[in-house]
Formats: sequence, C-alpha cells, structure tokens
Amino acid sequence: MATKLPAIASLSAADVLVATEPAWLQTWRQQSLAAFAAHEMPYWRRTDLTAFAFADMQLSADLGTFKIGADAPPGVIVMPLSQAVHDNAALVQAHLGSAVSAKVSKYAALNAATWRDGWFVYVPKNLESTLPLHLIQGFGAGNTLIARNLVILERGAHLTLVEQLHGDGGPYSNVVSELILGDGATLKYTAMQTWGAAVHHVGHVVANVGNNATIEWAAINTGALHQHIEAETNLVGNGSRVDWMAATVAKDGQRLLTAPWLRHVGRSTEAHMDFKTVVKGTGYATFDGMIKIEGGSTDTITRLEEHALHLSPQARSDSIPGLKIDTNNVQKAGHASTSGEVDDEHLFYMQARGISKDEAVHMIVMGFFEPVLDRIPLESLREQVTAAIAARI
Amino acid sequence: MSSELVIKDLHASIGDKEILKGVNLTVKPGTIHAIMGPNGSGKSTLSNTIMGHPSYTVTSGEVWYKGQNILELDVDQRAKLGLFLAFQYPVSIPGVTVANFLRAAVNGHRSVEGKDPRETQIPMAQFRKDIREKMAALGVDEAFARRYLNDGFSGGEKKRIEILQMSMLKPSMAIMDETDSGLDIDALKVVSQGVNTLVQANAEMGVLVITHYQRLLNYIKPDVVSVMMEGRIVREGGPELALTLEERGYDFIREEVFGNGN
Ligand SMILES: Nc1ncnc2c1ncn2[C@@H]1O[C@H](COP(=O)(O)OP(=O)(O)OP(=O)(O)O)[C@@H](O)[C@H]1O
Ligand SMILES: [Mg+2]
Repeated sequence: MATKLPAIASLSAADVLVATEPAWLQTWRQQSLAAFAAHEMPYWRRTDLTAFAFADMQLSADLGTFKIGADAPPGVIVMPLSQAVHDNAALVQAHLGSAVSAKVSKYAALNAATWRDGWFVYVPKNLESTLPLHLIQGFGAGNTLIARNLVILERGAHLTLVEQLHGDGGPYSNVVSELILGDGATLKYTAMQTWGAAVHHVGHVVANVGNNATIEWAAINTGALHQHIEAETNLVGNGSRVDWMAATVAKDGQRLLTAPWLRHVGRSTEAHMDFKTVVKGTGYATFDGMIKIEGGSTDTITRLEEHALHLSPQARSDSIPGLKIDTNNVQKAGHASTSGEVDDEHLFYMQARGISKDEAVHMIVMGFFEPVLDRIPLESLREQVTAAIAARI
Repeated sequence: MSSELVIKDLHASIGDKEILKGVNLTVKPGTIHAIMGPNGSGKSTLSNTIMGHPSYTVTSGEVWYKGQNILELDVDQRAKLGLFLAFQYPVSIPGVTVANFLRAAVNGHRSVEGKDPRETQIPMAQFRKDIREKMAALGVDEAFARRYLNDGFSGGEKKRIEILQMSMLKPSMAIMDETDSGLDIDALKVVSQGVNTLVQANAEMGVLVITHYQRLLNYIKPDVVSVMMEGRIVREGGPELALTLEERGYDFIREEVFGNGN
C-alpha cells in the first residue's frame, strides 16, 4: 500500500525534516515551518488565492526532475542543492535564505520548510564564464513541486544562466531562486516559465547585487494556468545595476501575475526595467511593481517601462506601478506605460506591402518582444519560445 | 484585363466629414500621372483610400484595376494585385528589421492561397542578393537592413526606404505621396533614378506622383498633370501645367473653378 502523503495544510516536523541533513538545516527547516504556521494568508490583490489553496496540496513523493540542458561551463560548480548542503555546507549555510527568507510570506516559508531539491550554482572569484548554463526543472508524477535554487557569484565572477521551468504535471509548483552577486560580478540571467497549461505556479526570485555588480535579467512567461511571481532586485552595492526585461503572454484562461520589486539601496545605482505583455482571448496578465529608492541611495538612475498589447477585446491586463522615494538625491527617474490594441496604422502599412493580417500581427508581437527574446542566450531555446508565443497569438 | 487605374466618382469620409467629393481620375498603363494641389485638398486621403486605409469610409464610387473593383479587396490583396503606396508619413515598426520586413513583404506577394508557403517563399540567397543590389542602387547603407523599420530614421531615410521597398516589390501601379519631401538634392536624383529604372523595366507600369514641387517632375517626367482641390480633380493638363502652377500658384484655378469667392 502506498504511504499517504502529508497534506500541506497540516504539516508536522516529522513530514519536513530529513534525518540525513546537517543539524543547522534541520533547525532552519523547523524555524521555517513555524513561520509557515504563523503567517497569515497573504493579501494578493490580483491573484486568485483559491488556485493556491493549501487544502488541495500535499507533499509529493516524487521530487521533480532536474536537468542540465548542455554541459556545465568549465570551472562553474553545479550540483543538486540536496548534495551541496553536504559538499558545500559552509557556502549554503551562509547564503540559504539570505535573499528569500521564510519571513517574506506563507508560500516562501512553505518552500523553506519543505524543499527537497533544486540547483546549487557557484562561480568562483574572477571566473569569467561565457558559455550558457541551462538548468531545467520539471515535475515528477507528484502533485506539488517545491524546489529551491541557490546561485552564488563570487567577486568578479561572470555567468550566463538560464533557469527554465518546463513540462506538464503538478498542478502545484513553488520555486524559489536566490541569486547572490558579489562585488563586480555579472550575471546574465534568463528565467523561463514554460510550464504546461494546467500548472499553478508560485515563484520567488530575488537577486542581491553587490558593489559595481550587474544583473541582466530577462523573464519569459508563457506557460501555466495561474502564475504568481514575486521577483526582486536589491541594488545593495554602490554602483550596482540591473537591466531587467520581461515578456509575458497570457491567452485563454491564463492568469499570469508578476510583481517585480526594485530596491535602490547603494549609491549611484542604475536600473532599467522594460516589461512587456501580450494578452489574447480571455487571458489576463498583471504587472504589480514597486520601485523603492531608499534614504541612503544617491545619484540614482531608474527607469521603468511597461507595455501591454491586447489582441482581443476580452483580454485584460492590469498595471499597478508604484514608486517610493526616500532620498532627495535622484539623478533620473522615469516611467512610461502603454496599453492598447495593435496599432491600425502599423497593420495598414504592413498589409499595404502584401503581408496578410495574421502575419502582420505575428510580426508586430514578435517585434514587440524582440528585445527580450534577443537576450535568450541559446538559439534552440529562442526558437522554442518563439514557437510557444506563436502558438498563443 | 486592363491595368488602367480608373477612379469613378469616388466619395470618402473620415467620421462624418466628407473629404473626397467625387474624384474622377484615370491613370493609363505606361504613364506617369502627377497630382498637385493645395494642403488639405485630399491627395493623401485619395491615396490612402485607394490602398484601403480603415479610417476612411468610401460612401460611393468605384476604383477599378485589373478587372476588379478593388474597393472590395483586403489591403494586402490590393498590394498583391500590383498596387503600391509610398507613404507621405511612413510609420516605424519597432522590433521588426528592414530585412525581415522586406522578406515578409516579398513572400506575401509570392504567396498563393492554398499553397504551402515553403513552396512559394523566395530563397534566402536570392533575397539577400536582391536587397543588396537594390540598397546599393539607392545609396542605402547595408547597415539599414538590420535596423528596425523606420525606427529613428531621418525623414529622407524613410523616403529612401519606401523606394527600396518599391524596387523590391516591383508594383505595376505605384502611388508616390510626396516622396520628394524630406529628400536632399542628391537623394532626390537617386530616388528618381530608382523610380525611372522600374518604369523602364515595365512598359505597363503606371505611376501616380503626388507632389507640391515642379522640381521632382524634372526627374520623373509626367505625361499628365492633374490638380486636386477640395476633394475633387479640377484640372487636367500636360507637363506644362506643373510649370504654370509653380509660377502662378493655385489662386487662378480656384477662381476659375469656384468663382472669386463672392
Ligand atoms: N485622420 C483624419 N482625421 C481628421 N481629418 C483628417 C484625417 N485625415 C485627413 N483629414 C482631413 O482631410 C483633409 C484632407 O487631408 P489630406 O491629408 O488628404 O490632404 P493632402 O492633400 O494630402 O494635404 P498635404 O498636401 O498637406 O499632404 C484635411 O482637411 C485633413 O485635415
Ligand atoms: Mg498629403
């Protein structure tokens, strides 16, 4: 007889602890479990919480699948996080939970208490890796994937990384990625959510960026039925930078939300955000963003653009940008936002050149996303995403 | 099947404002036909209406080309029939490169309903060769092929790209709406040469040239000059009419047509 799997609504320490794990981690899990119990349900103003009800979730026996798309670049340490807690205990202990703490929310606490695996990526000091590292996470047969990734770039390290959530299964997925960038590090990061059409996905992705470090972040979201991603860039270091783009396509029935937070903490930090959304049919996408310029941040440059393209009248997109400035030393702060249908003048121009209306719409959408897709470091992945988008429009 | 463009009593409005008030005009195959007329007289409205711009409502009249009343055709069908409009104000399309746009346009022209596009598409090597040749002939730097269409292009650059498109698509009936505006003196010559090359290659080709200035007509020599005023064609003459207009302005025609206004 199969053992009954623990229901998430009533987790106990016995369900959560792994006997072979080091003591510090067991303590950490127990604290996280306590935080999970103590948290109220979150107030999610645009995500349907019933799609993420704990009553429907249980821990899975199957831990999910973790694959590397191509060979890991030389010198970069890549291993399952479950192994890294033994082999690289000091690093994991120092950084685990430093970017996404169990305090953040009930779902982050759940992840901290119950994750079973994920990726550990470590780029040693001054190693300038250029080959893309492609990490793929998928579902096993279970009902819930709870995975956790920890990416550490030491001082002066460079990495090109693609994290992809791909495949059918679930329906529940809860994935945390912590990205730690040491001083002068550069991370080119592509986060792809290409889950199957029935998945309910909660994500927390947070980057802590050191002095003069840079993250180029491209998020691509085409899959899942429900998506609630809380993403955050903390420009902690002086002279730190983020160039942050996103492409989201929501078609019939999909409800995809991204809540990006950007914090300017250090001096002379610079951020460019360009978030793009296409909605079709009854698709619904939300941009729920916040830019915060902290008191100590001076000479700050920040620019936010968000644009939504509606391919049908019932489709919906919400944009809720927020800006909070606690310093009086901002160099530049700008915001641009558009939302609307495909421009008739564009369609007319293209059709006047013999291009059919369908093809014209396709080209306009692809052109709209071009700067984001251009960031995908692997040709095969770019093709995969292009096809996924084409199938949705 | 006649490749004459015949416009019969065409009325068109924007909202409830009538702009074309009964245009009659025939452009014969193998001829260059110039239209001149004051600002706001409806020249761009006429070219947009011929091409099928969705903002203009045709309230009555017909436009015949190659045996069809083209007002019944979709915009892309009109293009495939051989019509081409060089826009007065070309739009920019971010994210779509000049090369990709042109390839889609060429393939759109070659596509056949019910046939697999892979069978009709232009081979990549041939396309590259074509575009290189045409760019060289029009003095367009090859770097433009990789730029987003008209995105940040200067006024003159946009006009050159319009004619580049025309050279690639080889229409049998081209409408050029103030292609000369924004072109410097050298560009005007190069672009005119481009147009003349197309005309020489196709004895059946008709061209409708809209312009405010006689100067363009020194390079692209019209067979017929028509004058448009207040939504109608009010005069038709030979090339000398353009010279007269340059000298005297429109007032004398206005007086002849509408009286002296009292
Ligand atoms: N989209 C529009 N909305 C409102 N009015 C319009 C629109 N398009 C054209 N019109 C009006 O129709 C009239 C004719 O405009 P049109 O652009 O056809 O003139 P034109 O002869 O091309 O002028 P120009 O020589 O300045 O290019 C003008 O009064 C113009 O304001
Ligand atoms: Mg005009």
